[in-house]
Amino acid sequence: MTALAPSRPLSLALPPRRRKPLRTLSWIVVTVVVIAAFWSADITWSRLGELPAEILRYLGLMFLSPNWEKLPEALWQTWRSVEMAWIGTVLGILIATPLSLVAARGFGPAPVRVVLRFVFSLVRAVPELVFAIIILSVTGLTPLTGALALAIGGIGTLGKWGYEAVENVAPGPIEAARAAGGSTAQVLRWGVWPQASPTFLSFWLYRFEINVRASAVLGLIGVGGIGDMLTSYTQYREWSTVGMLLIVVVVVTVAIDAVSGRIRRRIMEGPRVR
Amino acid sequence: MTTGSLTPGVEAPASAPWGIRLDGVSVRYPNGTVGLKNVTLDVAPGELVAVVGLSGSGKSTLIRTINGLVPATSGVVEVGGRRVDNASGRRLRELRGHIGMVFQSFNLAGRTTVLNNVLVGRLAHTPLWRTLFGAYRDADRRLAFEALDRVGLLPKVWDRASALSGGQQQRVAIARALTQQPRIVLADEPVASLDPPTARGVMDDLRRINVDLGITVLVNLHLLDLAREYGTRMIGMRAGEVVYDGPAASATDADFAQIYGRSVTAADRLER
Amino acid sequence: MPWTAAGIVVAVTAFMCLPVVGVGLDIGAIARNWQQGAVRVGELLTPDWSFFPRTVGPILETLQMAVIGTAVGAAISLPVSFWAARPTNPFTPTRAVVRGILNVIRAVPELVYAAVLVAMVGVGALPGILALVLFNVGIIVKLVSESIDATDAGPLEAGRAAGATQTQINRAIALPDTWPAFVSQTLYVFELNVRASTVLGLVGAGGIGLLIDAVRTFYRYDQLSLVIVEILVIVVVLDTVSDAIRRRLV
Repeated sequence: MTALAPSRPLSLALPPRRRKPLRTLSWIVVTVVVIAAFWSADITWSRLGELPAEILRYLGLMFLSPNWEKLPEALWQTWRSVEMAWIGTVLGILIATPLSLVAARGFGPAPVRVVLRFVFSLVRAVPELVFAIIILSVTGLTPLTGALALAIGGIGTLGKWGYEAVENVAPGPIEAARAAGGSTAQVLRWGVWPQASPTFLSFWLYRFEINVRASAVLGLIGVGGIGDMLTSYTQYREWSTVGMLLIVVVVVTVAIDAVSGRIRRRIMEGPRVR
Repeated sequence: MTTGSLTPGVEAPASAPWGIRLDGVSVRYPNGTVGLKNVTLDVAPGELVAVVGLSGSGKSTLIRTINGLVPATSGVVEVGGRRVDNASGRRLRELRGHIGMVFQSFNLAGRTTVLNNVLVGRLAHTPLWRTLFGAYRDADRRLAFEALDRVGLLPKVWDRASALSGGQQQRVAIARALTQQPRIVLADEPVASLDPPTARGVMDDLRRINVDLGITVLVNLHLLDLAREYGTRMIGMRAGEVVYDGPAASATDADFAQIYGRSVTAADRLER
Repeated sequence: MPWTAAGIVVAVTAFMCLPVVGVGLDIGAIARNWQQGAVRVGELLTPDWSFFPRTVGPILETLQMAVIGTAVGAAISLPVSFWAARPTNPFTPTRAVVRGILNVIRAVPELVYAAVLVAMVGVGALPGILALVLFNVGIIVKLVSESIDATDAGPLEAGRAAGATQTQINRAIALPDTWPAFVSQTLYVFELNVRASTVLGLVGAGGIGLLIDAVRTFYRYDQLSLVIVEILVIVVVLDTVSDAIRRRLV
């Protein structure tokens, strides 16, 4: 196909282009921030070139022949981590649930609600590791410390999800329970709980999934569990054991997520019709 | 709204429109349903064909075998003498580049501009790097502007596509098809989601494409009066087979009843 | 059914509280150390404001790591998200491989990546950034590809009908529609990154965490308290700003 009239000026009337100042401004701000971060970072960028080869070498050391002899020890430590996660979740639920009920609109007085919600956000903003460090001074480097840290850290998210779940419940049964003259506890038990329980159970399980991952992290500062084992062998540079440990972490996490995910789906959707 | 003749130069379709040929085409979906049963059909270049039939009659399947969106299980599909049924990869994309398609639900990318939507029509002729950087050629942009002008929507060129009304969006879709400089335009129930006056406007545009630019047009319709009024030729489908093939103007209600397998109701007409 | 489940939960919990096999609730030790703990808590409630200048550098490094980690992670995640979603990658084998790899990557906590990377490349901000990038790609791709899976495939079909390649379709049609979700998830991940990079230093990967590690070995809980306050302020401010922006996006 040949162009018969190559540079014929466009004779149509085009409307003016839209200017979007806010959009351009945001792009500029983001670019400046990112460039500033890269430029001021204390990193020898020349090292980056050798990185891929180096990392591949380590990956080979870790995974080409993982050290399965230490597997029993790894599984025992995984059990400790799971224990930390479980107890942390249970404790967190026991403390957070009553608090979240009080923090829900329609059940607790307004000032209490505001304070509780503020406490929840504060707790959410602090990483669990920091809680663990604080608790360390009392309970030492033990799995109990890890469990307590997870429990306290969980109060923030469990509290928030809790009062959101209560507030999202359909108002009908609550009004009915109140109209029948029920006390607040009775309204909660009979008006709120039947509807909200699947949501509660679902996020309790989800918190357990999160805590399993977090327990491996807590182990890195020495409270025990698989993270503890990882730190030791990483510091000794025993890569084949580190590789095996990573595989164990992945398998356990994926397995727990899958099982927990299935249970949660079953809770939310009801049993499958046979 | 501009009407009328081609502007010489960039816009002229380089050569003649294509015909469509189906020979013994059957389509069987993976779940077992039969879409088309042994359909043989010839559309001459430059015809405006209306395809009617109930939903499930095979209209959608028929139109999609022409550009290969639905693969034919058996038989030959040809456009302009080039086989579609055994084309794949680059060859198929090349062929599709010459076939424009208009959909019932408009299928525009809502969050971007009208211009970007119309430029989709040039993607088959645009190298990847230009697409990645959004650096379309000036000639392509010009085609897009002119297509939008042809459907009367140039003032909206920089607007967000989702901000337009249904009828306007369908016109943008037509402009997108036009930007391909197509040899064939396929329209799958283009007016089913539009109110009567807008529907007429869109059908007018399709007819103008056929009459002014000489492009072969195949339209799926479920409204009888539109089919009678706009098609030069009408094909009736039922249960995957062609049951009627003749001039549109002379189709009677009895013919429609035979195509539909039931008597004609008010819902089958545009104007009640 | 619920009572059986509750019973199981109680039994498991009780089992886990036993010593040796379980975590061992050693009340005696708690009672003994309680007084020490009370002193610590007292220190925590009185932040050492004079420590502030020494925290500025590490905090900036924390923010740097978060910004760089988010930027690099987002850049990688954008194309990968398209490869992981059905409408934009109809080819099932590659999609399954991408999703599989990402599931594995997501199963490892970012601090574990950081600890291992520190042993590989040395102490500093670099392993922290790399760990964050891995963490980010896992999350952004999952969330954005889920959002792509939920969108209407019609416009993509139109691109296919016009003869475009899948990559062209993804860039010209899918990207504008996916963009708000992508920016929203990137901001969300940035929030998570700031929170995470505060503790990356505890395993040697740079940021304020290094300082936390230093002050805790000296039991200067008043200094630790100042650091915690700073972390709180940064996280809360960022969360508020980021939420405001994300609300305006959708």
